[in-house]
Amino acid sequence: MGVAVLVGTRKGLFVLTGNETRRGWSVEGPHLTGWEVFHAMRDPRTGVVHTATNNWVYGATAHRSADLGETWERAEGIGLPEESGLTWEKSWHVEPGHADEPETLWLGGTPGALFRSGDGGSTWEPVQSVLEHPTREKWNPGAGGLCCHSIQVDPSDPQRLYIAISAAGAFRSDDGGETWEPKNTGVAADFFPDDNFPEVGQCVHKLLVHPARPERLWQQNHCGVYRSDDRGDTWERLEGNGLPSGFGFPLALDPADPDAAYVVPEEGAENRVTPEGRLGVYRTRDGGASWELLENGLPQQAWQSVMREGMGFDRRDPVGIYLGTQSGSVWVSPDAGGEWIEAAAYLPTILSVEAAEWP
Amino acid sequence: MAVILLPSLLAREAGGEGRFEIDAPTVRDALRELPVRDLLFDERGDLRPLVNVYVNSVQADDLGAPLEPETEIRLVAAVAGG
Repeated sequence: MGVAVLVGTRKGLFVLTGNETRRGWSVEGPHLTGWEVFHAMRDPRTGVVHTATNNWVYGATAHRSADLGETWERAEGIGLPEESGLTWEKSWHVEPGHADEPETLWLGGTPGALFRSGDGGSTWEPVQSVLEHPTREKWNPGAGGLCCHSIQVDPSDPQRLYIAISAAGAFRSDDGGETWEPKNTGVAADFFPDDNFPEVGQCVHKLLVHPARPERLWQQNHCGVYRSDDRGDTWERLEGNGLPSGFGFPLALDPADPDAAYVVPEEGAENRVTPEGRLGVYRTRDGGASWELLENGLPQQAWQSVMREGMGFDRRDPVGIYLGTQSGSVWVSPDAGGEWIEAAAYLPTILSVEAAEWP
Repeated sequence: MAVILLPSLLAREAGGEGRFEIDAPTVRDALRELPVRDLLFDERGDLRPLVNVYVNSVQADDLGAPLEPETEIRLVAAVAGG
């Protein structure tokens, strides 16, 4: 097994395969030409590659490949019920279910909707409790629409799920998706003129559960970087101490170190490029108390943007961190951020990056 | 019997078939027989706004029109984008 990077772009899916050192990479693709691949992942339970795919003419769907991209099958008829008054607009993120439920998958997207598949991604059913959430009238779409972009399953409890929607906030379910509680205590919504800490309405950009310490959550928000140590019940804001800005989109973790996280700050909401005219990744190894700039190998004259799904991590030791820019470069660090290698350049606009074990 | 011609993306999604011969009462019914019907119509059954349907080289404004024999239907994505 080697490591591959699934790179979703505006114009199809690319697969980068690495050598043993993760310093040499080859590019294969594009797959799914004509489709925007908002997110792609290889399900570690089954080996099937799943994508959240969109086309500006033909709508939003999901594809899957059981043969590493040789052939693709489209899920048919993903849609929202008529009584919701909503129609399915964009597929954003596809997530494997719990390890004990190998046929279960989750698909999130616009307008603030979540789907569950119980048959490995062949058919998808909308999760009514999200569509009918009692706070829904307080949700507001961000620039990317009302997108459900983060879906996390607690590895220690198949009933516990998290979703995050821009701009509705983070929600937790303790009953397998039957009900959802807002989990935004301590998370700022500075863009509201009156109440900056409402129950819902926060603009989460990315939310991740630490795989080895699942009570610990990390969140990159429109208004700061946050950590929760109580399954989202409360959040602590973490910027300062080396982080030039709290604004950014992507987030990566180190499966072996719950105190480590990686972010790519941007100057701010009004100027969405990396600060100080360079591409810099910032890492904490003390739970967010301090941050250090990682720049060894990254371009030092650059005004870059990395989208919310644009950073991934593998499960090797040391952890590999993967970064895809809107300008079409894939940067790889095979040593937890110490050194960066440009694994691919001149790809179409990169929407997502996800590492996977690859035969 | 109508002949329906698909653009290349739809043909790939239809398993590599770009030409279908379908017998159906109306243009809409014929399109609903296609294996890519979910890409042409949304979940309300409405034709997606950027999908253009040409019947015998004329853009169709009534998908409920009866399907005449020897009809050629061409599906064309709106010309735009980048």
